[in-house]
Amino acid sequence: MNQKKENNKTSLIWYSRLILPVALWVILNLCSADFLLKVEERSHFEFDWFWFTGFLKEPSGLLSWLGLFFTQFLYLPWLGSLLWVLLLTASGELTVKIFKVPGYLSVLAYIPAFIFVVYNMSMGYMVYLMNHPGYFFMPVLGYLWALFTVVIIRKPHNPASSLIITIIIGFAGYYIAGFYALAALITACADSFRSDRSRLSRILILTAAAITIVLSPILMVSTTEYYIGTGWTLGLPDHVHTVPLLRMQGALILAMIVLLLISLLPHGELNGKKYIPIIIQCALLVGIIASTTILWYKDANFKTELRMIRAADNMKWEEVTRILEKASQSQDSDWQPTRVMVMLKDLALIKTGKDGDYAFSFSDGSCEQKRKWDVPMSIQIGHTLGFHYGIPGLCQRWCFETSTILGWKNIIFKYSAMTAILFNNTALSEKFLTKMDNTLFYRKWAKEQRKLVYDRSLMQKTAPYDLVLPLLCHEDRITSDLEGCETFIRRHFTGPSPVHSTPMYDRAALLFAMKSKDPTLFWTRFFLYLDSNNPKSIDRFYQEAAYLFSQQDNSDPLLKALPFDEQTKNLYKSFQNLAQRTGPKDLEEANRIFPANLRHTFFYYYYYVNNLKLF
Amino acid sequence: MKHFITIVAILGIMTSCTQIPTSTSPVDAVPSIFPDYTDVVIPSNIAPLNFRIEEKGEKYVTVVTGRSEKVIITGSKVVIPKGKWEKLKRTGLIEVQVYIMDQNKSWHSYTPFTFTVSDEIDPYISYRIIPVAVESYQELSIKERNLTNFKENTIFSNTMVQTNENGTCINCHYYKNYTTDNMLFHVRHYKGGTVLVLDGQLHKVNMKTDSTLSAGVFPAWHPTHDYIALSNNRTHQSVHSASHDKLEVLDDISDLILYDIKNNAVSIIENDSCELENYPAWTPDGKKLYYVSYKYEGGYGEKRKNEMFLARKEFHFNLYSKSFDPDTRTWGPTKMEFDAAALDSSITWPRVSPDGKRLLACISTHGVFPLDQIVSDFIMFNLEDGSYRHVDELNSPFAESYHSWSSNGKWIMFSTRREDGVHTRLYFSHIDENGHFSKPFALPQEDPDFNREFLYAFNIPEFMKEPVHITPRQFASFISSTEATRSKYESKKGE
Repeated sequence: MNQKKENNKTSLIWYSRLILPVALWVILNLCSADFLLKVEERSHFEFDWFWFTGFLKEPSGLLSWLGLFFTQFLYLPWLGSLLWVLLLTASGELTVKIFKVPGYLSVLAYIPAFIFVVYNMSMGYMVYLMNHPGYFFMPVLGYLWALFTVVIIRKPHNPASSLIITIIIGFAGYYIAGFYALAALITACADSFRSDRSRLSRILILTAAAITIVLSPILMVSTTEYYIGTGWTLGLPDHVHTVPLLRMQGALILAMIVLLLISLLPHGELNGKKYIPIIIQCALLVGIIASTTILWYKDANFKTELRMIRAADNMKWEEVTRILEKASQSQDSDWQPTRVMVMLKDLALIKTGKDGDYAFSFSDGSCEQKRKWDVPMSIQIGHTLGFHYGIPGLCQRWCFETSTILGWKNIIFKYSAMTAILFNNTALSEKFLTKMDNTLFYRKWAKEQRKLVYDRSLMQKTAPYDLVLPLLCHEDRITSDLEGCETFIRRHFTGPSPVHSTPMYDRAALLFAMKSKDPTLFWTRFFLYLDSNNPKSIDRFYQEAAYLFSQQDNSDPLLKALPFDEQTKNLYKSFQNLAQRTGPKDLEEANRIFPANLRHTFFYYYYYVNNLKLF
Repeated sequence: MKHFITIVAILGIMTSCTQIPTSTSPVDAVPSIFPDYTDVVIPSNIAPLNFRIEEKGEKYVTVVTGRSEKVIITGSKVVIPKGKWEKLKRTGLIEVQVYIMDQNKSWHSYTPFTFTVSDEIDPYISYRIIPVAVESYQELSIKERNLTNFKENTIFSNTMVQTNENGTCINCHYYKNYTTDNMLFHVRHYKGGTVLVLDGQLHKVNMKTDSTLSAGVFPAWHPTHDYIALSNNRTHQSVHSASHDKLEVLDDISDLILYDIKNNAVSIIENDSCELENYPAWTPDGKKLYYVSYKYEGGYGEKRKNEMFLARKEFHFNLYSKSFDPDTRTWGPTKMEFDAAALDSSITWPRVSPDGKRLLACISTHGVFPLDQIVSDFIMFNLEDGSYRHVDELNSPFAESYHSWSSNGKWIMFSTRREDGVHTRLYFSHIDENGHFSKPFALPQEDPDFNREFLYAFNIPEFMKEPVHITPRQFASFISSTEATRSKYESKKGE
């Protein structure tokens, strides 16, 4: 009977250990696949000797390399996440086994793994700022190294051997895993005091560990180019931009402290009432699940942006607008998009030729991204916008800036290569394409792109070039290097008209002229649009803008006489009536007062969408 | 890496002892190799010129022959063992014969090319390694490279001083007469100041005074006296929307100053408010200073910068000189040496050869920053007869910029973007008695693929007769712990 109860208890523990990883894997794939793809896209792994040797130059470089190796599999989120979950599960199971964690506390052994889950999945916009190569997998790999270190140091019981092994694994470990190896030494010391080894052996392990922990970073710093304070934390993500170091490193340090505490847990099962272990297990489980759920970054706008960016990078322009439409439908009437969404939406509409009929049918605004630290739009999507808006200089600039600040990433190599192809720079194209040749998942893409390097005629009918070349009809211009990405693009399209413009360029220029709300600029662009596009009927929003500007007091009478649709005139009349009757003082109030059909007009944009914060 | 390449080389030699193809069909062309080392003149003390054969093939055999030495290497990556290389160089002329086996198992012998061994070169060079970004920097370092082998050391890196919150930029290293006991570089932002090594002792100074525009920028160390001429610049950048040139760089104000080392004092050389003076360069006797300048009479205030960017294509810098008496620190009048504006051109970076007979400079269509101008080329002046010529043998379709004469005046080292238009690389060329340069060749690397794989740029290459004796850590702890001493201002003498 007792044996049966014991078996049931064990089964419960085992089921929870099995269910949790499976649940995590399912949730990752159902809810966060876009995020995982972003993590992969902003990493880079090459099967290349020269590239590999670059990681050997600094402690923890091997761990970075290994982290990147696993990160590449996030290209297939189901596979990458499966590997991650397996590693996390292994870390928990090995912890239980190595430290003989009693059954009623075995969930504790999973806490470091859940800290790693929370660390990665609470990242949100920080994913755009992470500069540490392999950061997604590194914590769990570092943790596994720490467990390995403990096991190795446990092996010899002879004091002299213990001393030698500790020093060797300590110094070698520091070179391989940096901070994680040093943390492992502390745990190994604690572990040695719980074993049956001799006092001398314990003292020698402690001494060897202390020497290694103090000396290895100092020795490393003295022979390399590191700031003296960074030696002990190599292997942890660095500070970047405005993100404080505590946010980057705190959780990972905490995980290693938890490991130390686990090594100090009492052995043996709890005496007393049988249900207490179950209660403890359940409480720990609930705590872990609740905190993970709360801290998991779930912002809807962030997810919408991820999907829109991905669609834009894959040239699925219809999907870009569809995602935004779907996102806005599930929100309140006063919902505003972020500027990233607006810029991508406008881009998609220009590409699909639907700008005139749809540009203002979406809510506009500048909703703040839900993040604590500044993530410039240029770092987020400067390369995407620069390239697809037909400004390769902007794309190249932000590719290089991003690679300098955050390291080279697949997405940056892709856009760098495409820009080089656009510039007809064979050597530079080859340089970046060769980098992609060395990857597992992008070599096919590189092979396709290489065809364009040597046969430029293919560009006219190959995406994305087919829809970039029409926007690349402008003369080279210079613009300040200090302004934001959106301002740069606005200035670009509201600048002098190209001598030989294209219908697409004229539509884009007209759209940005409307956004500038400058009637003079609008009329110039409007007639250029009519000339080059020769539309059978003027698109809805262009008509609205033309009608609005023609109604202004100083407008040319000829413009007032343009053949506007009755629908435009009626809409304007309804808009003016409601505006005069209610007189909303700002966008928020207007959002509440105006019905959707009047909100989604150029008139509404002109009068109420003001003071947008551009990035 | 080093060992791996050595092993590959040894294996290549071991496996190739009897593999010189006997039955071959000749190809009437030299093989395409990277870097292009075909028919170059090389210094007698240069490291091996390893290269990769770019031709398609199934098998490769390369035979490198001196008078009595022969090395046979298999594979498309040709890595010449150092010991053999030294023996080969002693023969004066090295011939390289490449054999390639095609898919049909037929061997082809390409036209041999040569390395002609010539004068020695200074054994060390230094350069800055920088990212290709416009504005950002994370890791910047000044490196020292031994040209006789592949050893590269760090002189100083900003990562040794900057913290997570405070970035440090480093730039413009320079040496007095090619020796490293007297050298300088600038540290900007965190822990900033000009780091001076004077007779082996470290100093840190802030050359900005109330009467001068900025701290020192582009330096020229006086060859005989304790002075350094420097430019003062207020620099701005602007980004191109669709051009092979990434950037437009200009100064809305720039002047020239003289730093008196003994007195830690700064005096003005030129600060005409309408002139944008820049890039000082001494003659070897130290009695003349060359520099470039452009007369800009536009407005001042907020709009100045924007107006200047709009008018940038009219910025044609001319070459000027001023005589100087180093004993009394007095200046003579300004003399125009070359009217580049008359040719709708702009001249920058003048550097006088150690024998004082020639001046090499960059020439471009406009502006002051040749590095970011695809059209930037070299122009050379014969200072004895006043003639000049575009140095076509050095120029490429991409930007040629910073250059440095070797101490014996037989070699020139220069920055160029010829390989891919973006990543600046270092090239060398020999100059003969008639002032003609040999075909330039890339800085030899142990791995011939290095230049293609490396995603950073080389910057400010300078020759050195010896390595820097101060260690990076000594520089770092000095820079971190020492506040810059403010220079005092002294009035100008002469004219």
